[in-house]
Amino acid sequence: MTTPLIVIAVAALCFLIGTRGSARVQNILLPLSVTAILVGLWDLACVLTDTQVFPTPAKTWAAFGEIVESERLWGDTVASLFRVTWGFLLAAAVGIPLGLVVGWSTRTFRALNPIIQGLRPISPIAWIPIAILWFGIGDGAGIFLIFLSSFFPITVGTMAAVRNISLVHQRSAMNFQMTGLELFRRVVFPASLPQIITSLRISLGVAWLVIVAAEMVGMDSGLGYLINDARNAGSRYDLVVATMIIIGLIGIVLDLLIRQLEKFDEVRWGYVNR
Amino acid sequence: MSERTPKVIFENVSKSFDVKGDKLEVLESIDLTVGEGELVCLLGPSGCGKSTLLNIAGGFEQPSSGTIKIDGELITAPDPRRVFVFQEYGIFPWASVWDNVVLGLRHLSKDKQYEIASEIIDLVGLSGFEKTYPMALSGGMKQRVEVARALAVSPDVLYMDEPFGALDSLTRLTMRSELIRIWKDRKPTILFVTHDVDEAIQLAERVVVFTGRPGSIAGVIPIDLEHPRDLGSAQYGVIKNKLYELLGVSHLI
Ligand SMILES: Nc1ncnc2c1ncn2[C@@H]1O[C@H](COP(=O)(O)OP(=O)(O)OP(=O)(O)O)[C@@H](O)[C@H]1O
Ligand SMILES: [Mg+2]
Repeated sequence: MTTPLIVIAVAALCFLIGTRGSARVQNILLPLSVTAILVGLWDLACVLTDTQVFPTPAKTWAAFGEIVESERLWGDTVASLFRVTWGFLLAAAVGIPLGLVVGWSTRTFRALNPIIQGLRPISPIAWIPIAILWFGIGDGAGIFLIFLSSFFPITVGTMAAVRNISLVHQRSAMNFQMTGLELFRRVVFPASLPQIITSLRISLGVAWLVIVAAEMVGMDSGLGYLINDARNAGSRYDLVVATMIIIGLIGIVLDLLIRQLEKFDEVRWGYVNR
Repeated sequence: MSERTPKVIFENVSKSFDVKGDKLEVLESIDLTVGEGELVCLLGPSGCGKSTLLNIAGGFEQPSSGTIKIDGELITAPDPRRVFVFQEYGIFPWASVWDNVVLGLRHLSKDKQYEIASEIIDLVGLSGFEKTYPMALSGGMKQRVEVARALAVSPDVLYMDEPFGALDSLTRLTMRSELIRIWKDRKPTILFVTHDVDEAIQLAERVVVFTGRPGSIAGVIPIDLEHPRDLGSAQYGVIKNKLYELLGVSHLI
């Protein structure tokens, strides 16, 4: 009982000290102390409720070590990342060109937009039975589901970006007589790129959410499957929580990676307030 | 001006927009002839249709009635021989200064591109900034890039829609004198839109004054002053009074 209280007290003190620090200190100390407080509260709740099922932070930490040592973690992480990577890349390879064309050509927009808007609200999870029917249990179904979950945000985001291109830039392009592929390469694509990158970022986040759900329901490997497996194999909630934390951490890394795209000179103009 | 060959001829140009079913009359029977190599300022209150007239001349919009001819040719679409300098920045923020300037030269050989672009960049005073992206430039520099991009294709006509409107007053003064320098150097025909009386007097050979919306021509004032023009001279004051009178406002506040 006393340990979590001490942790919370020390963390709260660090938080107070942190609020007085420079921006750099705040950026490090504040999130760390908030995390420590939450972990303390978690521990405290375990102690107070005297739970036998839900793992304490310490047990979770031990489970963490267990997963890493078991060498299953590596294989399941690779399986999840493999599906996300290919589904996402395929979705980008189809969605970006499609979005550019549909966004630019009013006639294509009229023809395709209703269908795209109609399919978009269907949760990728709802596609799981069909995915398994078509691809069986395995990577194919996973890639297909990630493709679906990324394809719509990427396509719709790209369409919106194209339709937002400022009139002045469109007219500049017309003034210098740009048409066809050149118009797309030099104006339509670069003008929409900042917003396209934002939609890539959003859909990668969604893809990471979806793959875990998909693996829990309809696959026999991956981090989602690992969670399911841990629960089924004797209610190992310590393994469940440890895996959840790993999923969160990988999600952060994925986002950090894709955010690197926002740093190029060609797109930075799209993110600063003008 | 009468001895000049006519370059741009507006004949009875009117324009109205449909705004939610209602007709908004913006321009009313504009008749105007601009001579070859002439620098004409279009001066009028905000909303009187100056940008609209320029957009029609540039081929971006069609008149509701009337015609615009350049060198006797009817204007129906934009053309790189006549380049627009926009009220808001029209340069591409995703491309470096160099890439912006060579935009209109992309059909030429690399050597030719290099020759023309470096000369123009030098002319507008941006040497050393070729690789910089517009985001890292000041407002005045961005506007120079846009002027350079336009000049690179050696256009016969330049449409400038309040190109210096967003600049601070000092930069605006420098940009005006640079424009005059460049115009004397290359002698394009320039249609320059402004709602700044001083700017009109400093730049124009003729000032075309518009009424409020629907815009029509209230009067045309020739300015026979040599450059550099003296803001303090007596003639300057006389012209200024005439312009304010035509605009229907008093500058004595
Ligand atoms: N595409 C359009 N559709 C409807 N109304 C328009 C359109 N373009 C311009 N207008 C209207 O026409 C009028 C004239 O606009 P315009 O931009 O030509 O004015 P302006 O003289 O350039 O003004 P400013 O000095 O403020 O730039 C305005 O009332 C504007 O609302
Ligand atoms: Mg205007």
